[in-house]
Amino acid sequence: MLRVIRLYFRFLGLHLRALLEYQSDFWVMAVATVLMQVVNLVFLSAVFAKVPALNGWSFWAVVAMFAMMAIAEGVGSFFFEGTWRLSIAINEGTLDYALVRPYPVVLQVTSMEVGINGLTNIVTGGAMLVVALSRVDVAWSALTVLLAVVLLLGAVFIKVAINLATNSISFWLSGPSPMFAMAVHQVGELARFPLSIYPLALKATLGFVVPFAFISTFPISFLMDAGSTPWLGLLTPLVAVYCVAVALVVFSRGLRRYESAGN
Amino acid sequence: MRAYRALARTSAKNALTYRTSFALGLFGVGFQLVALLAVWRVLLEDGSAVNGFTWPQMRGYLLVAFASGALVGLLADFRMSFRIHSGLVALDLVKPVRYQEARFAEALGAVWIEALVVLGVVGVTVAVSGPLPLPEGGELALFITSVVLLVPLKFLVVYLASLASFWTQNYIGVQWARVAIVNLFSGALVPLAYLPGWLATVATWSPFAGMTSTPGLILIGRVDGSQAALLVAAQLGWVVLLWYGAKLLWRGALRRLTVNGG
Repeated sequence: MLRVIRLYFRFLGLHLRALLEYQSDFWVMAVATVLMQVVNLVFLSAVFAKVPALNGWSFWAVVAMFAMMAIAEGVGSFFFEGTWRLSIAINEGTLDYALVRPYPVVLQVTSMEVGINGLTNIVTGGAMLVVALSRVDVAWSALTVLLAVVLLLGAVFIKVAINLATNSISFWLSGPSPMFAMAVHQVGELARFPLSIYPLALKATLGFVVPFAFISTFPISFLMDAGSTPWLGLLTPLVAVYCVAVALVVFSRGLRRYESAGN
Repeated sequence: MRAYRALARTSAKNALTYRTSFALGLFGVGFQLVALLAVWRVLLEDGSAVNGFTWPQMRGYLLVAFASGALVGLLADFRMSFRIHSGLVALDLVKPVRYQEARFAEALGAVWIEALVVLGVVGVTVAVSGPLPLPEGGELALFITSVVLLVPLKFLVVYLASLASFWTQNYIGVQWARVAIVNLFSGALVPLAYLPGWLATVATWSPFAGMTSTPGLILIGRVDGSQAALLVAAQLGWVVLLWYGAKLLWRGALRRLTVNGG
């Protein structure tokens, strides 16, 4: 197990070193992702300058939700960007290489690439979360700090698992680009806002079918003890375990269908 | 002219053949519309007005923002960046057409399909949440002019961002930055009146205002008469300026181009 983890970071390190060879690329990407978060913040503060709350949620609560999504997406990009390369690997048959190496195939796939934008998203998202949580009303104790960390980890794994599950659909669709996964990712962007603003169908989709709300609304709602169902946030780790399990099953089912591309 | 018409036709066929990627290109803006509609519905539906915007007005404004995001979509700009990046642009250079005009013809070719999608979305939104305010007479003419000008304006902004591919390998980052800046300064995320005064002024006279704010505000009747005409004139001015500016930049960009092999 330790060997698996150590090797994983060595794989990532290799890609990271390759990426850093292109320094101007790194800066373009870093500036772009920071700019996106800044625009989000300007947008939120412009709206909240005129209204006190959005369905009962304060400015900082919504910032915390945006931050959770940014961190989850950031971890997904920085540590698991290879997930998004699965469809092209299936399409071109390059997944063959992964099959003959003595290392879990799914981890070889997820470590195929490093998304440098993930790093800036983790940093800006983390900063936003810390500031936001210090401004909202949370009864901090050793227990809530521990729970906050557990919820954050759960949220991150939910995003990573959804990415893996939806990208694994490429085993069945076999096109060169991950259309389905990108579409689901776009739906997930909705979950940056509190779930309660959406009509019932979207609530059911984001809270139950593809549980994006467990990345943002529910954990924050639990920490702040606000919203209609704060206790739902406690389910985050369970939902994470469920999502990871489903993603691994979908991946291995798909892998059984994989039949290379000839040579 | 025939060559440009052929390019436009090809680009329309392309969009119709690769329907899924075409639809997916509209997905992102579509969900941005859903999210923003949901936010403003919560804030405005009880009949209150925030900063002078009522719910029917905001709905109309957000639909203009969606139209501006959907028209001249992503499909074309990634292709251009990719061709510069891979050196395939060399093939575009040997064709006896002007580069910028040819890309504009391609953008125009697919615009009617995007316009149909926009009309469909407008139709659904009106059916679900009620009719839109519509301007009359001179303002209606100005609104239509502004929407028509939006097409070359957005094309030029996307085209200029794509030209950056001559200087940086990383076109995805450049396009992300472009989307972020346009979203804010065009008023697509939030009407410019909500921004702090100085920022709103800068944005209003930036080229980006013509990409949502100007047509949006005229549609919902927030600006009218000479004020509206002035904004549309500024929009036209930016189209002309950017068109010739892009030509200048293209000359500089060509000097940077190295294509290996054949």
